[in-house]
This record gives sequence, structure tokens and C-alpha cells, in this order.
Amino acid sequence: MTTKTHCPYCSLQCGMTLANTGAGRRTLEVQPWAEFPVNQGALCRKGWTSGGLTGHRERLTTPLLRDRATGEFRSVGWDDALDVVAGTLAAIREEHGADALAVFGGGGLTNEKSYQLGKFARVALGTSQIDYNGRWCMSSAASAANRAFGVDRGLPFPLADVEQAEVVVLVGSNLAETMPPAARHLDRCRENGGEVVVIDPRRTSTADRADLVVQPVPGTDLALALGVLHLVISGGHVDESYVAERTSGWEAVRDHVAAWWPERVERVTGISVPELHALADLMTSHRRVMVLTARGAEQHAQGSDTVLAWINVCLALGLPGREHAGWGCLTGQGNGQGGREHGQKSDQLPGYRMIDDPAARQHVAGVWGVEADSLPGKGRSAYELLEALGTPEGPKALLVHGSNIVVSAPNATHVAERLEALDLLVVCDLVLSETAAMADVVLPVTQWAEETGTMTNLEGRVILRRQARRAPSGVRSDLDVIAGLAERLGSPVPFSTDPETIFAELGRASSGGKADYAGITYERIETELGVFWPCPTPEHPGTPRLFADAFATSDGRARFLDVEHRGPAEPCDGEFPVHLTTGRVLAQYQSGAQTRRIRELPDGGAFIEMHPLLAARIGVADGMRVTISTRRGELTAPARVATTIRPDTVFVPFHWLGVNRLTHDALDPASRMPEFKVCAARVEAA
Amino acid sequence: MNAMCDPSNDDMRPLGGRSATPRERLVVVGHGMAATRFVEQLVAGGYPGHVTVIGEEPVPAYNRILLSAVLEGTHDASAIRLRSPEWYAEHGVELRLGTRVLTVDREHGDVMLVDGTCVPFDRLVLATGAIPTLPPIRGLVRPDGSLHPRVHAFRSLADCERLLAVLPVDAARAVVIGGGLLGLQVARALSVRGVATEVVEGGDTVLSRQVTPAAGTILARSLTQLGTTVYTGARATKLIDHPEEGGPIGVQLDNGFVLDADLIVLTAGGRPSVALARGAGLQVRRGIVVDEHLASPTDPRIHAIGDCAQHAGQVTGFVPPAWEQAVVLAQRLCGADLDYRGSRNVARLRATDLEVAVLGDPVAEPGEIVEVSNPVAGKHSRLVVRDGVIVAAALVGDLSRVGLITQAYDRGTVLGVREPGDLLLPETAAPLAPLPDDAEVCACAGVTAGAVRACGSLAEAQERTRATTGCGGCTQVCSRLVGEVPVREPREPREPREVVSPVRS
Repeated sequence: MTTKTHCPYCSLQCGMTLANTGAGRRTLEVQPWAEFPVNQGALCRKGWTSGGLTGHRERLTTPLLRDRATGEFRSVGWDDALDVVAGTLAAIREEHGADALAVFGGGGLTNEKSYQLGKFARVALGTSQIDYNGRWCMSSAASAANRAFGVDRGLPFPLADVEQAEVVVLVGSNLAETMPPAARHLDRCRENGGEVVVIDPRRTSTADRADLVVQPVPGTDLALALGVLHLVISGGHVDESYVAERTSGWEAVRDHVAAWWPERVERVTGISVPELHALADLMTSHRRVMVLTARGAEQHAQGSDTVLAWINVCLALGLPGREHAGWGCLTGQGNGQGGREHGQKSDQLPGYRMIDDPAARQHVAGVWGVEADSLPGKGRSAYELLEALGTPEGPKALLVHGSNIVVSAPNATHVAERLEALDLLVVCDLVLSETAAMADVVLPVTQWAEETGTMTNLEGRVILRRQARRAPSGVRSDLDVIAGLAERLGSPVPFSTDPETIFAELGRASSGGKADYAGITYERIETELGVFWPCPTPEHPGTPRLFADAFATSDGRARFLDVEHRGPAEPCDGEFPVHLTTGRVLAQYQSGAQTRRIRELPDGGAFIEMHPLLAARIGVADGMRVTISTRRGELTAPARVATTIRPDTVFVPFHWLGVNRLTHDALDPASRMPEFKVCAARVEAA
Repeated sequence: MNAMCDPSNDDMRPLGGRSATPRERLVVVGHGMAATRFVEQLVAGGYPGHVTVIGEEPVPAYNRILLSAVLEGTHDASAIRLRSPEWYAEHGVELRLGTRVLTVDREHGDVMLVDGTCVPFDRLVLATGAIPTLPPIRGLVRPDGSLHPRVHAFRSLADCERLLAVLPVDAARAVVIGGGLLGLQVARALSVRGVATEVVEGGDTVLSRQVTPAAGTILARSLTQLGTTVYTGARATKLIDHPEEGGPIGVQLDNGFVLDADLIVLTAGGRPSVALARGAGLQVRRGIVVDEHLASPTDPRIHAIGDCAQHAGQVTGFVPPAWEQAVVLAQRLCGADLDYRGSRNVARLRATDLEVAVLGDPVAEPGEIVEVSNPVAGKHSRLVVRDGVIVAAALVGDLSRVGLITQAYDRGTVLGVREPGDLLLPETAAPLAPLPDDAEVCACAGVTAGAVRACGSLAEAQERTRATTGCGGCTQVCSRLVGEVPVREPREPREPREVVSPVRS
């Protein structure tokens, strides 16, 4: 028996076929699905080996209850576990109010789970305190896109459009390693005569297929964009009629970048004037130019402004809305896109509606069968929520779904302390992750091949993962957990556990919203190889390309927003003289809770990548032990000496516990994104 | 930039005992780079007082350091405007352009304009900039005090526009007086515009204040190769008018040469504009003396920033220090407690085909010298290193590492013993070796060269190892490993990119 589905990991959501070869086989066999257009049968080693986690010996198959006195876990039945959780939640709510209960979701959860989680928090718990790890993913791009275009969909065009572009500028994306099959589109773009630019402090394997590589100082992508815009203007390349007809706010931006002449940009970014000219010349001498930002540009305390600065460049050149051109964001997590559209974000309701919009509240409350007034308002954002845990004003109980916080949160030592201060920590996971190990109650839940649900990939394409095998006995879906707790907590409305029923309800709740799924069904997704939102009716074909005629703002015009480079929250100094930046490696995914348990994936642990000049300065050679320290923590790992990184920068992959003890928790004022991508560090031989 | 305003801060109280005044009245004299930055920072910091800016030039604030780019043609004059008058109005800043302050009356606390009106202040910021120096050349200034009609200064947008107006039809030959940064930029700009240009510099080399004679000589030679002759160690002494109207005039040099010229541009430096301060009885040396609060020791209500100011004995004449002073003073006035402690300066020559960066003072700064010189290739790099820190540098002709060296200089990074030397040498690529069997060739599927070699064909390798089935980047390598001709050849290496625009700053 085979099932067409999608990979459990990143936002590319590669199509794959799972073969359940039957009797005695513990694992599913992964086979290509050549027809799916995003990856056309290609997969990386994470995808090929993803079947390895089903039936893994470390899978949890029974709820665990921790004895706070001894710290020991003991197995309990599902009813007992849910009774304990619901009873404790009710008691805390009784004593401290509903906002003492908090929910933390994930960008890997299906649309159905994200939707149910948001509804569960607002209706069954009655709390405003729900957010998710997507804040640490693409929230800066989301915030920027909403402000500039009035809508946030990662890519406003299908990924394959890349192949027809003349110039593709990747700002802070290492897609050849983080979503390898996507690189095939880049290669085809180059075969068609297109040119690729990679902007990254590291010359990555993505940069190996680039025509121009620009390696700025970490945290200065914004200044680089201001410098490019300066040259767009000074060279007379502004698309004046587009700016006049389709945008607003241009004058202030134009005057501001007069102060960002090339030599000033060079001093700030470390990009020499000739390199800056080469970049600007490439972008101004072609019509079909695409700028794609990713975490490298976005995970900064000025991340959303950085994205806005690149959007300004695109608008000045008249790109958004032009065929095979414009700005887009390469989202990160599997359902980074859908996960933020349906209500697990503290300020949003389904359909990308804002929770403080009375009409939005009215509509969603109607679908849910509750009073609009009963819905709580806006809650804390992800990191602020974690910081408040266990404080006098903060939540006392936290439910975690699909996130391994103590590995993935910035300034992780501090976050772990906050988790310890809770009266109740409940974690739903497949395995005993580092976060689950701290929980009072651990609930074993299904993983991707064992359940059905939809995801929305980086293109805004809604896709379907069909269940391919039965879950191990003792394991239940997050949907069962939500329904079971809602019932025990006396929810005013029942919660379904059937994904297709929930998806239909989600469609009604999103109807009329920006991310309108009302016309999408499981059947359509299967026959059409995914459906692009907005899709308001069953007859509507879906919307692969946005902005051809108008933007989603109130007046239909895109907004230029005047943004200024502020620089990293923690500049380098004599004590901490190098920049630390973090990221992913090909063979691992996020906190590694899944990939580190796949035998075929190399798990060498963290390493500290540095340039030979820096290695010589501290007297180490490749492979030697190095201690890296920041104001928040330290880590010892082997040096990986490479000429491909800036000599003033070190890179450490974040998949392993300890790396995020180093990172900085300064937040972007608009998106609340932490500054994962740059802080001041010191390295020395261990 | 994000300093919060704290109205309780002492700095915020109106001085002079007028505590009943609700809002501090702040007057800024000058509307150049320093003043504009200062006002922007006041706005960003939420300064609660009332701000009046008085500018002599009638045009909105513009980026003065791009004037040579406008002259060269890389920048349209409209692309250098910094802030529109509407911006000032939107932020409640009163802007008075095209007028001049005649006197500062410290006793009454006001300034008098040329039209006789008085503007009262509780606090005064002098950002009066610098005045171009007139070299002692006979015939330069006519009896009525005006410049000879063929002679141009190059300080303001008006100067630039006047110069542009005579190009190129009326000017085939130009002489630039002064071989400093501005002189070389103007000379290159004129040359790019098709004007035959010569430079006269009184010192022994060009950029003599910024670079060593060896570097200056290399730079002068590069200029000559670009068609601009440089006369060093020569002073212009006299202008000789042509007997016929419209004919070229002669520039008499002290070495006997006479250079024919249709126009002459003066770029022989400037001096701080201190007349107002001197008239007001403030302490003035070369510039208006200020302390670490950028305030005059004579009168703490009065500040000076930018080219007109002298801090710790230094007058700078560059934008970066002027802007740092503007930021510090604005943040202080918005309640932050910080001092100005001097600036690190990076000066860059903006001229096509001439690459020069000067960090700090590489001529006078004490330290160990690490130098790489290649006069044949027109390259000269000098780092001044003290206790492992680059404290000054001059890079001529080779800016391939300018970004990195500037970062190290700006941050005071302590480098390793070999590092300054290594920074000046080109990075060497590792030699290509045959792939060992245990080398990973396909990262997507985790396949070694040996595993691919063990297969008979690419198709077999794909089937057995899944090599090439991810990002596809290893297809060519794998094809060769199994002895197959790559499906598609790698693209031809590109020619070095041609710059699309004909000229650039």
C-alpha cells in the first residue's frame, strides 16, 4: 500500500510516496513522487530517511506523570493523565484567572491542529496567552509583508517562478542546505540564463551556485539594502510610473537613503563599494528580478525593518506584481505559513484576522458558537510569554505542542528557569525531548505519517498529508488531547477530532479573511496538487500569484516604509570581539528532536566554524576544541576551520542543546523576533 | 538613537533662570551635514523643545559629500536631497533658509539675522561648517572682492551647479588647485566629463596629509595614467588673462610653468567658520572650542558640532566625526548621559578608477608599520598596528580587504601576530586534489566518492545511493566519478562583470 504525502520537516513540504510494505516492517519506505511540482521527486537525506522515526525505540507510547518529589516519571493511563492535567488547569484558573493558563504551539503542526489549539485556548481555557515558535521563524517577514503589502504569504508566486527570473537575490538563505530540492529551481534559472546572488556572511553551498556572493557583517543587511536603494535612485533606475500609480510613502524613503552613500555602506556592512555597485548593477539592469529573504535577514532585532528595506528596493524597481519578479520570504518550518494563519498567534484569529478587530471577533465567534465578548484579547508574544512564566503576573501552567523550547529559544538558560518556575508543564511530543524531560505530564502524540491533516507550504499552497500507517498503540493525536481536555474543562462547545471536519470548520472561520480557505477541500487538494489561498469559494481556482492588479492594503497601494539601520543589539567590543551567528546544517532539523534519532543522519554535535585568520589568532587548528562564550553562556565544541566564513564571524548550528544558551534575546519591536543571528562572542582554545 | 527623553534631566531645563519658559528654544545655525543629522536625531529622540534651523543656502538639506558625484554624473542632483522642507514642517521644526546670522548676543540670548530680525534661544548649536581657503594667487580675487569669473570654489550645491553649467562646451581644459581628497575627486569628475584636467599641489605628493609619500607617488602615477597630470611641489602664483575675450587664461606656477585653462577649481582645503563664535566672545582656536559635552567652555548653553568645532585639539573636516558629534549632542539634549570622546575616521576617495581608503592618521599615528607596496601594479597598503590593534591604515589601489580592515579598525579588534600581514596578502585557493574515497560528494544523501565510484553508471548511483537526487548540485562530480560525461557542462566562467553605468562614484 502506498500513500502520497509530504515530508515531515521544512516549509518546502516535498511531495513523497510512503510505502507500507506490510507485515513485520517497522518503518515506512520513502519513494519519490515525481508529479508534485515543488520538488519533482527530489528529496534530501532528511526526507529519504524520515520513515525511520515511525516505530523508533524511543517513541513514547504511554503518558508520563512526574513525581515532583523524586523527579521520576511513571506511566499512567490516558484518562488519568488527562484528568490530572484538566484538574490542575481548572484549579489554577480558579485561583489565578484564565490568563494563568498558557499554550505554546509550533510551526510544524497541521492547519487543523493550529486552528484547534487557537480555538481551545480562547474557548475552552478562556486565555489570551497563546503563541508559538513561528515567532522565531518568519515573523519578521510576516510583519513586514503585512505592513507593505497588506497581506502575508511567504511567496506571492509559485516557487517554480524562480526558473523564469533573470536575477534571483537570496538574502540570508542557505536553501541548498536547508531545503535542498529548492536549489534545483535555482539551477534551472541559471540554465535559462538567469543570475543568482547570495548575500550571507558565510559562503555556503548555496553560494557555490551563485554568480555573485556578497558577505556582509552579520546584522547589516538593512544597511546593504539602503545602499542598493541609494544606487537605484542615483543611477536613475526608479520605475517612476509604478511608484506613482501603485505605491505610497516614496518621498520620505527617497530622501532618507540620500544619507546612505556607498562609502558609508561599506564602512557599516564591510561590503566594498565595487561589490555594492556590482549588486546594484545586476538588479537595475534586468526586469525580472526576485529578492527572497530568509532567516539570515529576518532573525534580528531589526529583522522586520530589514525585510522592509529590501521590499523598498523591490518597489522602487517596480517588481512586486510583475511576472516572475518581486519579493518573497522562504519560510522555515513545515507549516510556518499555515501555522500563523489560523489562530495560534497571540494577536490573530483564523483566516489571518486580527483579534482586536470587532468584525473579525464577531465572525469567528459565530462559527465557534460563542459570544464575541467571551473571546479574550491579544496575549503575549512567544518569548515574552516564556519570560513571564511563573512570575506573579505570568502564567502558572503551560501546554506545549510541537516545540522543543529549551533547545530552540534564545537565551535558553533563562527560558529553562522560567519553565521550572511553573506549577504545571504539559508537553505533547513523540519522544522525550529536552523540553518534555522537564514536564510534569508528557503526552505521547502521533507523528506525521500516523495522522491526516493539511499544511500550507512556503508558496501559500495548501497541501494534504494522508495517514500512511496506524499509530503505535497508546499514542493519540494532539486533536484527541485538545478534545479530551476541552470536555473535562467544561468547554461551552465540543471539539471534533476528525481532521476533515475540522478543516471544513476552519474554512468557514477563515471565510472572508485574508487567508481565505473557504473553497478548499481535501478532494480539491488531492486532484489539483495543492490549492493556493486565497480561495474563497469551491468554484474559485485559488491564487498562485498575488498583486498583479492591486495590493491587499485598504487603498490597493503598496507602502514604502522609511526604515533606519540601528545595528545589532549587542555590538562587538574588546571583551567579546567576534560576531556569533547561528543556523542549520543539512542533515539535522530544528531542535533535532526527530532528526537526531534517525540512525542514518550524521549527528556530529555542534561545531564552531571560523576563518583560518581567526583560528590562527587563537591558536587552534581544524578539529581542536574551542570554547565560545557570550554574556549569557558558553559552549565547548570542535573548531571547523573554513575560508568560507568572514574572519570576524563564527557560526554554530543550533540543533543541539547549549547553542541557544549563547544567543541574545533582544526582540524586534514589530515582530517580536529574537536576535538569533548575531551577538557578541569570544572564542578561545579549550 | 533610541535615547528616551527624560524631562527631569538637568540638560532639559531652560537655563538662565527662566524656569517659567515651558519649552526650551533651540536654535541651530547652519544647515549642512552635521546640522541635518543633529535635527534628525532630535526628532528621533523626541526632543521636547522648539527647534529653529537657520541655513544660509536657499536649498533643502543635501548630502554635501556627494557633490563630486553630481559633478561626475553618477548622481542626479535631485538624488542627494536629505530632507525636504515638508519633513521639517511635519516634525514641528522651523526652517529658515537663505538667510544668515550676523551676530550672536549671549547677554540677550538671541541671534540677529541679516534682515535685522532676532531669534531668541535658550540653547544654541553652531554648525557653521568650514569656509574654503583662498590660496595666495594674484588675480584670483578681483578688486570688488569677487572671484575671477573663470575660478570656481567647490563647497556648495550652487558651486557645483555653476561648474556644471560651463561643462563641457565652454571648458576644454581645467586646472584643479589642491591635491587633497576633494581635489582628486573633482579632477577625476572633470576628466570623466571629458575635460582635460591638471592638478596643482603645493606639497611633495598628493594626499600628503593622508598618505605617505610612497603611496602619494603611486596615486599620482595612477592619475597620470588616467590622463590627469599632477604637478606636485608647485604653487600657482598668478592668473594671466588671455588677451582675447573667451580665450583660456594662464595659471602661472612658481616653477615657471604656465598652464592654460578654461576654468580653475579651488579645492585647497578650508578653515572652520568661527566668525560668529569669535564675535560672541566664545573661546576659539582653530575651531570653536568644545568640551566632552560639545559645549563651549565659555558658555555651556552654546554648542558647536562638525567642521567648525574643535574638540580635544582636533578639527576634523569629515562627515563621520561630525555625525557622531551630532548624535551625541542630540541624545544628550534628549536626556541621555553620554560624552563625546573623539571619533575614528574613515575617509574614502569617491572617484572612478581611483581606489583610496584612509583610516585614522596613517602618517602621524605611532605604531608598528605593516606595509605592502607594489608600485608597478599601482598598489600600496599600510597598516599602523599598536598592541595588535590596527590604529590607522592607508589603502591605495587595492581595496579588496577594505571592508574587513575597516571593521577591525572601527572595533579595535586585537589581531594575532601574523594577521595584519595576512590581511594585506591575497587569499590563496587550496590546490585541487583527486577526491579520496571517503570524501562526501553528495551532502543531500550523504554519499561518499567511493560509494559513487563503486557504481557502474550515474543511473545506478542514483538508484543505489540516491546521490544527486536532492539539490542536484553534485551531478557533474558524480558523472565524472562513474566515468560518464556530465549531462550538462558547467557554464562558461563569466567574464568579470562590466559595470553597466558608464561612470560611478
